[in-house]
Amino acid sequence: MITLQIDNVSVTVPEGTTLLEAAQRIGIWIPTLCHHEALTPYGGCRLCIVEVQEGATTRIVSSCTYRAQNGVHVSTCSDTIVALRKGILTLLLAEVPQSPVLQELAELLGVEHSSTFAPRNDLCIACGRCIRACREIVGVQAIDFAFRGYKRVAASPFFERSEDCIGCGTCVAVCPTGAIRLHDIPAGARVELSDGRQVEGPVRVIENWKVSFPFKRCSKCGEPFAPQVQLEYFTKQAHLPADFFDVCRECRQ
Amino acid sequence: MGFAIQHLTELKKKGSATLFPDTIKIMIGVASCGVAAGALPVMAAFRQGATEKGLPVMITKTGCAGMCYQEPLVDITIPDKGRFVYGRITPAAVPAMLAALQNNDIPDGALFRYSRHECLLDGTITHYPVPDKKNSAHTVPLMQTVPFYKGQYRLVLRNCGFIDPENISEYLAQGGYHALATVLNKKTPLQVIRAIEQSRLRGRGGAGFLTGLKWRICYTTDADQKYIVCNADEGDPGAYMDRSILESDPHAVLEGMLVAAYAIGATKGYVYIRDEYPLAIERMGQAIEQARDAQLVGDHILGSSFSCSISIVRGAGAFVCGEETALLKSIEGLCGEPHQRPPYPAVAGLWGKPTVINNVETLATIPVILTKGARWFSTIGTKKSTGTKVFSLVGKINHIGLVEVPLGTPLRDIIYTIGGGAGLDRTCKAVQTGGPSGGCIPEHLFNLPVEYDTLAHAGSIMGSGGMIVMDNTTCMVDVARYFMTFLEHESCGKCTPCRVGVRRMRELLDGMCKGTASEQDLYLLEQIARVVSTASLCGLGRTAPNPVLSGLRYFKDEFILHVRDKKCPAGVCNNLITYGISLSRCTGCGTCIKTCPVKAITGTKKKPHTIDTSRCIKCGACEEVCPVAAIAPC
Repeated sequence: MITLQIDNVSVTVPEGTTLLEAAQRIGIWIPTLCHHEALTPYGGCRLCIVEVQEGATTRIVSSCTYRAQNGVHVSTCSDTIVALRKGILTLLLAEVPQSPVLQELAELLGVEHSSTFAPRNDLCIACGRCIRACREIVGVQAIDFAFRGYKRVAASPFFERSEDCIGCGTCVAVCPTGAIRLHDIPAGARVELSDGRQVEGPVRVIENWKVSFPFKRCSKCGEPFAPQVQLEYFTKQAHLPADFFDVCRECRQ
Repeated sequence: MGFAIQHLTELKKKGSATLFPDTIKIMIGVASCGVAAGALPVMAAFRQGATEKGLPVMITKTGCAGMCYQEPLVDITIPDKGRFVYGRITPAAVPAMLAALQNNDIPDGALFRYSRHECLLDGTITHYPVPDKKNSAHTVPLMQTVPFYKGQYRLVLRNCGFIDPENISEYLAQGGYHALATVLNKKTPLQVIRAIEQSRLRGRGGAGFLTGLKWRICYTTDADQKYIVCNADEGDPGAYMDRSILESDPHAVLEGMLVAAYAIGATKGYVYIRDEYPLAIERMGQAIEQARDAQLVGDHILGSSFSCSISIVRGAGAFVCGEETALLKSIEGLCGEPHQRPPYPAVAGLWGKPTVINNVETLATIPVILTKGARWFSTIGTKKSTGTKVFSLVGKINHIGLVEVPLGTPLRDIIYTIGGGAGLDRTCKAVQTGGPSGGCIPEHLFNLPVEYDTLAHAGSIMGSGGMIVMDNTTCMVDVARYFMTFLEHESCGKCTPCRVGVRRMRELLDGMCKGTASEQDLYLLEQIARVVSTASLCGLGRTAPNPVLSGLRYFKDEFILHVRDKKCPAGVCNNLITYGISLSRCTGCGTCIKTCPVKAITGTKKKPHTIDTSRCIKCGACEEVCPVAAIAPC
């Protein structure tokens, strides 16, 4: 076990616990964006930075990646940290001012939107949650980052149709800014995508990864209920009987 | 061990024979600096001419002797006359030189001559003959009196420009691999580490971490596998120390790696060289092959129980891969992105195993420390920064080249005495040390001794050793903009401050150079710079704002002139200058009229000309051609 001080409160945690987890354990809130409890720590957005004092040296580290160490003093809301967090959030908010998650954080941290800089065309803030979720939770690796620096963006290989994507939508669920455009188009409906293409249901479309998946129809009620490819992937991964997903959830009950 | 040592002794003899032959020896510098200046055709001309004339000469390659501004350099030793160095030789000059040699004469025009060669590692001194007093070559200055070399201490560059980098025998003949053999025979890993600790050697890659301490951390970490990595991903604009060392003396780096591997207990090593250095990759590859044949790399090195294999990994062109955690990811075949330390690579590095990553120059210093002793080494330089440091002098400076000085040497000595000051009768304004991560040090601080701590205190960093000299025609806002553009392109994009912050700084600086920025933007620029420098994930981001912050610290007036008065005093930022012709100076010669690409200049002969500023595209061509300096931006 490791004992450390966070904002002058002593806390004892198992070895390997991150500073963020340790702080959460004693009810200290640290803003996060690229962090997700189901995913490996990333340390990219830098909103969760804290000051760690170890002996005579003070360092600024991301609390989501830094493992707790015996005897260190952690400060989660010093003047320096508060000012830096505001600075980082100002940069992010100017990128994607319409994001509700960022707006909410801005209100909490007292940051105002500045229109000095032009916002991005898309909503991606390169936090990498979609990529980590696809790799670590789904086990597919359909997407990754393309380019580097300011151009860095989550993308399908070569911005072409992702061949590995199963259309499960986990990426959409973890995206903090709603940057991934997923449409479930019911049978008989026609929808025009942002690139001008017309798509006819029943189908699931994820525009970012250039994929569309026809829905499987329930053998009992005949209703489309999930992308065929996704059901096949789950059947294989979980070693289920081949006819396991022939009926929809409602009909099975 | 017996066989290997015997083999090495034979090689060493061969090396001595080629280093100091009985015949005339012509050495041509063929590091990248020489090759770029046309050394290969010069070498071909010497070969062909000597064959045609039937002249018994030995023509060999050598590396960079440091005087890059005089390349192609040709170094000629005439057994009974002396050793002379000639600069800027073209193939056309070769026949006359060969003819002189055939007549038993000394070719004219030598830059300097050597009176002796001292082998740094074993201390042997070879004297060269002094030319006859009647001969005009007698007045050729001695190497140690040439200002460029006078203040230098060539320790890491001991063999550069003297041995053939493609010949292991010559390296051996200069005391090479003696340190490795001694270490394997007589020293425990801990003794080696202690020696490096006593030398107080600090990493030459830039951050200046104590090398001995790094080795000790790795040594004390238990693991079934450890690695040694040589960081040769030199990416700073204007820095080429590592390239020259690898091209001129690759075995020194290899020997340093092997000693390090023995000390920390590594059995596998990687040399990570950026792919933009094809010649360095080629020469290092040859060095590894030759060392393997001589039982210096591979299993049971020199018959001992120590084994270590070394291979080259070529970098794929990302600046951030010079950052150690990103470099390791790149070797693993993953995307070259940094991650937060700790854990430090010395504890968990390549594939999670303890790994020591040292810079090229650091490793090339190791054999010297072990052969000459830690105490001897620590007397060079200053107390906190021991030893010597190699710098590449570039930019607006007379003597562009590679220099090595004891740490603690004042900037002034490096820039004015060795570097010869700014060219074209201009004055030095600042020097940028440490590449994009460094800062600009203004002229009034040139008395600063070059040390890790003093440079950091002045708002710059030692960095890997690039020194870009700027004169009064350099705009500091434009310089900051240049570095931000570079870093915007090279940021990996993983963390917000660096990805977005550097972009924003570049945009603000663009505005300042274009004349669209306000004083508020200057404040914003400084604010963003502070966030990026403290909150970024890795060293690249944390040091990225240095060019901006040091610019604001020392040249704030220039920034203010850009945003408030929309003026660029250096005459660089196109939107902020207009060209004018001095009526009192202009002689009406008409040269500018002929040169102007947009016909913006008019006037009659022998009367002052005028510029139509609405047509002028500010290309500066008129300023360059005006014979009386009547045209200038204002």
